[in-house]
Amino acid sequence: MSKIINDIRETARQLLAEGKVDVVIGYEKGSLPLKATPCFVHSSEGVDSLIWDETCENNLATYAAKTPGKKAIVAKGCDSRALAVLLQENQLVRDDLYIIGVSCHGVIDQRRIGAEVGEILEASISDGKISVKGMEGDKEYLFTEVKDATCRTCRYPNPVMEDLHIGDTIEVAQGAAAFADVEALENKSDNERQEYFKEQMSKCIRCYACRNACPLCYCQECFVDCNSPRWLTGGVNRAENLLFQAGRVMHLAGRCVDCGACSRACPQGVDIRALNRKMTKDVYVMYNHESGISEEGKPALNEYSANDPEQFLVKE
Amino acid sequence: MQLNPYIPITMKLVKNLVETEDKLINTFTLEFLNQQDEENFKYMPGQFAELSAYGHGEAPFGIATSPTEPGILKFSVAKVGCVSNALHLMEEGTMVGVRGPMGNYYPLEKFKGKNVVIIGGGFAFTTLRSLAKYMLDDKHRGDYGDITVIYGARNPGLLLYKEELAEWENNPNINLITTIDRPAEGWTKHVGFIPSITEQIAPSSVDTYAVVCGPPAMIKFTLPVLEKLNFTPESIYTSLEMRMKCGLGICGRCNIGTEYVCKDGPVFSMAQLKELPNEY
Amino acid sequence: MKISKEKFGQAFDALVAEYQIIAPVSDANGIAFKGVKSFSEVKQDYLNSKLPPKAFFFPQHEKLMSYKKEGKEVTVKSELKVENTVLFGIRPCDAKGMQLLDMVFKNDQYTDPYYFERRDKSVIIGVACNKIAPTCFCSSFGLSPAGSEGSDIFLIDLGDSYDVEVITEKGKALAARFEALSELSADEQALVDKIKDAVTLSKVDVSTTTSKLDKMFNNPYWDTLQEKCIGCNVCSFSCPTCHCFDISEEVRKNEGTRVRTWDACMAPLFTLHGSGHNPRDNKKARWRQRMMHKFNYFVHNNGSMSCVGCGRCIKGCPVNMDIRQVIDGANKAELVVE
Repeated sequence: MSKIINDIRETARQLLAEGKVDVVIGYEKGSLPLKATPCFVHSSEGVDSLIWDETCENNLATYAAKTPGKKAIVAKGCDSRALAVLLQENQLVRDDLYIIGVSCHGVIDQRRIGAEVGEILEASISDGKISVKGMEGDKEYLFTEVKDATCRTCRYPNPVMEDLHIGDTIEVAQGAAAFADVEALENKSDNERQEYFKEQMSKCIRCYACRNACPLCYCQECFVDCNSPRWLTGGVNRAENLLFQAGRVMHLAGRCVDCGACSRACPQGVDIRALNRKMTKDVYVMYNHESGISEEGKPALNEYSANDPEQFLVKE
Repeated sequence: MQLNPYIPITMKLVKNLVETEDKLINTFTLEFLNQQDEENFKYMPGQFAELSAYGHGEAPFGIATSPTEPGILKFSVAKVGCVSNALHLMEEGTMVGVRGPMGNYYPLEKFKGKNVVIIGGGFAFTTLRSLAKYMLDDKHRGDYGDITVIYGARNPGLLLYKEELAEWENNPNINLITTIDRPAEGWTKHVGFIPSITEQIAPSSVDTYAVVCGPPAMIKFTLPVLEKLNFTPESIYTSLEMRMKCGLGICGRCNIGTEYVCKDGPVFSMAQLKELPNEY
Repeated sequence: MKISKEKFGQAFDALVAEYQIIAPVSDANGIAFKGVKSFSEVKQDYLNSKLPPKAFFFPQHEKLMSYKKEGKEVTVKSELKVENTVLFGIRPCDAKGMQLLDMVFKNDQYTDPYYFERRDKSVIIGVACNKIAPTCFCSSFGLSPAGSEGSDIFLIDLGDSYDVEVITEKGKALAARFEALSELSADEQALVDKIKDAVTLSKVDVSTTTSKLDKMFNNPYWDTLQEKCIGCNVCSFSCPTCHCFDISEEVRKNEGTRVRTWDACMAPLFTLHGSGHNPRDNKKARWRQRMMHKFNYFVHNNGSMSCVGCGRCIKGCPVNMDIRQVIDGANKAELVVE
C-alpha cells in the first residue's frame, strides 16, 4: 500500500474518531477495472476502503455543497480549485470543510484504452505503467500515453488550498498558460469548426451527466429545466444540444476550473471541454484570470474594473 | 377501435369565472362541440381530465360537474403553473383540449343504501361537488341515506360555488355545514378548522361512508377524528393529487408503490393507502 | 438449420425494398443501431450497442400531435406514419427488454398507439452473443446470451453462416425469404450447443430481492446507498426497460406540437407538483423508486423484473454506481421494523 493511501486513511480515521467531521469523501476501488468510485466514509471503521491512484477521476467538490454537516474531502488540484470557487461564491462554509490535499499526476483516460483493447477485463498499475487485459487483446501502456487530455494541460496539480497535504508536491513549470488545443480549433475554418461541433453535438443525448458531474453547475433550477419561460425544448438534436452546451459554458465563464469532469462523465464521448477550454482561454487572455486558484478573489465576471476589456461589447 | 388516448377533444370555454375573492381560482365551463364527443366522455364523480391550453401545455384537473349535468364540464383551477395561468387568462369562446375522463371514481355502488359524509377543505372541493351533485340528482337521491357535507375554507371569500352552497342550505335532501378558519364580518355559520368542526358535528359512522379531500394538513388532522367516531379505514375515501403527464399509467411519475394515481386512483380508501408506501 | 452469410446477405439486401432495416453499425462513438441499406454495412462482430434499441419504438423525442391556433379556434392534427421495419442484430437482453416495454405501453386500460404502431410493424431478428462482456449479467434473470425470447427470428453467428431459428409467426413470414437453408454439420451443432450453454460470468442472486424489498421501504439502506449518485440520466437513458417520459409543448407563433421526451426518475423535477410539493424530493427517495420499480413494483404489477442485465448502466455511470452491487446490498441489508 502506498504511503499516500495510508496517510489518507489515517487522516480520515483521526478526523472521524475525533468528531472533527461527519463524513470523509474520498475514493474507493470501483467495480470495474481502472475505475475508482466516490466513497463516503461516516465512521472510522470504514476508512480502510479509501484509496488513491490514477483512477480517481471524479471531482469530489461536486458533493461538497450537497453533503450536509462537516466534511473532509480528498482533493486534487482541480478539486481544490472548484472548492475555492464554491467558497468565493458562498456555496460553502469554510469551517465545515476539511481539505485533504493530494497532488495529482493526472488520471487515466480509460476511453482511450477501451477503444484499443475493447472491454477491459483486468488491469494493474505500477511504476507508471498500466497493464491491461482486454476482450480484444492485452496491452501495456505508459501512464503518460493514456493520461486524460485535461491533465495534459493542467497547471495546478497541487491543491491551491488545503488543511493538510498528503504526499509530495509536484513541481510545476512557471509560465503562461498554453492553449494549443484551443488554437488548433481556432485555426480551423468556420466550416471545419462548424462540422466539428455538429458532429460532437449530434452525439449528445441530453442525459445531463456533464452538468451533474460539474462541481460548479449547482443552480437549483437549471435553465434547461425551466418551463416558464422555456429556454429550450426537449428536442435531442444538434441545435438544441448545442444551445444547452453553449448555455452551460456561458454560465461557467470565469468559473470553470478545467477539471474535465464533464467530458469524463459524458457517456457519449462528446468533446464538451472544447467549448469550455475556449471560454477558459478567452477569460485568461481578456482578464488575465484563472478561476479558483486561491481562496480569495472572485470569479472574473463577478468583479468589475474600469480597465476591463470590452471587445465583446463594442467593436473597436 | 380505441381512440388515441393522447389526442384531446376540442371543447369551447363558454365561461371563465373568477371563483374566489383572492382571484386565484377560476371555474371554467367547457361546452362539448358535438354529441359524439359527449357520448365518448362518459364519466363519474371523482374522475379527472387533462386540460390543454394550446401553446402552453396540458395539466390534470378534477371534474367539478356531475354527469347529471349534460352538455358541459366544469373545472375549478388554482393559478399555480404555466397551464393554469394560461387558462385563467383565456378569453371566453376559446377552444381548449380535453383528454379523459381519467382515473377511477368515488365508489358510488358501495355508497348505495348508506349515509355519506363529504368533508372538503379549500379548493379540493371540486370533485366533492360532483359527488354531492350526483347523489342529489332526482334519479339518484333515493339510492343514498343521509348526505352530510362539511366544507370549509380560510375565509368566506375562498369558498367555491357560493350560489350552490346557498341553495343546498335550504335543500332538505342535504345537510350542509360550512365553516371558515377565523371569524369574519357577516359570517353567521361555523368558525373553526375542519377537524374540530367534524368532531363537533360528530356524524355517525353507522352505515356511513366518509369522503375526505383537502390540503394534506387538513386530512392529517381529520382522519383521527373520523377514527374516534368509529369510521373504519375501509369506510373512508380520499382523492390524491400527483404530478401527472400521460394520465394513462405509462409515463411513470405518479406512482405510489405499485399504484399509478392516474390510472389506479385518484380515489383510494384509507385501507388501500395504509398498504402503500408513504410517498405522496 | 443454417444459412450461409452470403445467402443471408442477399436476402437481407432484398428486404431493403420493403422494409426500413435497422442494424448495428460501427460509428465514431462505438456501436449504434442505425438504418442500413445493405448487409455489408452491418457490423457483425460487436458486443452490443452503446444505447439500447428501444428508441425505435419509443423515440427519445417524438411528436404526439400538432395544432394550429387561429383566433379562438384550434385545429389538432395527429398522424403517425410508420414503415415496416426489420431490427437486425438485437441482442437477447434487448429483445427481452422490448417484451418488458410491451407490458408498460399496454396496461389494463390503455394501449399506447405510438409505441405499438411501430412495434407491430417490426420484426426482430435477434443474434446470440458469442462474446460476453464483464458487465453482462443477464443470466441473473433467467435469461441467457443465446436466449431467443423476444426475437421473431433468432440467429447464432457461426462464422460463415447463421444458425436460424424461427420463433414467432411474424418471424416465419420473414424467414420464408431465406432460401437455401441447410442442416448444420456436427461441428456446427457442437458450436451452437456451446453458445447456447454459455452464461454470463457476472451473476447477481435476485431470487429473494423482490420479497426483501417488500419490507425495505423505510430501510436505512437507502440513506447511504445513493450518496455518490450525481442524479444524471445516464442509467435511465441507456436502460432498455426504462420508459418514463415527459410531455411538453413546442410552440412557434400560433402553431405548436406536443411532444414526448424521455424523462427519468432520477430528475428532481420529475415528480414536482405545481404547488411546490414533491413526493420524491431527495435522491434517497429517487433511488429507492428506481430500485423498487425495477425489482419490486414491476414484479407485482407484471410478474417480471424490469432489468435484463445488459450492463449499460454500469458501463455508463460517471460515478460507477453498479446496479449489481446495489441489488446485492439490498439482499444483504439488515431488516428494520417498518
